[in-house]
Amino acid sequence: MTALAAAIGVGIALLLCVVRLFVGPTLYDRTLAANGMMIKIAILVAAAGVVAGRGVYVDVALAFVLACVVVNVAVLKFFRSRTLQAPLARAEDQ
Amino acid sequence: MDAGGVIDVFRLGLSGLVIAAGLVLIAGGALGLLRFPDLYTRLHAANVADVVGSVVVVLGLAIAAPEWGIALKLLLLAALLIAIGPTLAHLVAQTAHAAGLAPISGQYAAPRPGATRPSTPP
Repeated sequence: MTALAAAIGVGIALLLCVVRLFVGPTLYDRTLAANGMMIKIAILVAAAGVVAGRGVYVDVALAFVLACVVVNVAVLKFFRSRTLQAPLARAEDQ
Repeated sequence: MDAGGVIDVFRLGLSGLVIAAGLVLIAGGALGLLRFPDLYTRLHAANVADVVGSVVVVLGLAIAAPEWGIALKLLLLAALLIAIGPTLAHLVAQTAHAAGLAPISGQYAAPRPGATRPSTPP
């Protein structure tokens, strides 16, 4: 029952993060909101696992958090260098 | 009431307290993410209150878990969250700063990493 309360509270926070995802003025605000959304979705899945009493859901949450790390690092690297295959040596400025 | 029932009632109350504390922290983080004026202040709200709140909520779920295996996996999830939250916050802030996004107030304008001349002050 407490797990159900946790799921409801985290779901409300997830909706607030969705608002920031669509409002956010810069690209990095949207990235931050998407990051928080993915972590909150993982907690929601873990709470569903505790409610249902099945450990498989918690495994899904663990995999989702790891995927969240990889996706965020890739997206931020793309925002930084505008390519996913940045050159190893920096071009000389004139 | 036997000992197992007493332990179950105690566990329910303890998990309720811990989850309530974590939900207060998560609500603070989400409101800060909505209401603060700047990317860097939003980062401060979302990654100080939110990471701690997530970890506390997952610990409360681990207290409320019906089996030992689920509780162990939830503890692993809490360790993972407390490791990756500040890392991703650092990445977002460093990327925004390298792209030249200035804070909304203050005099701090460090040269961008990799730039040959200092960035223009805000």
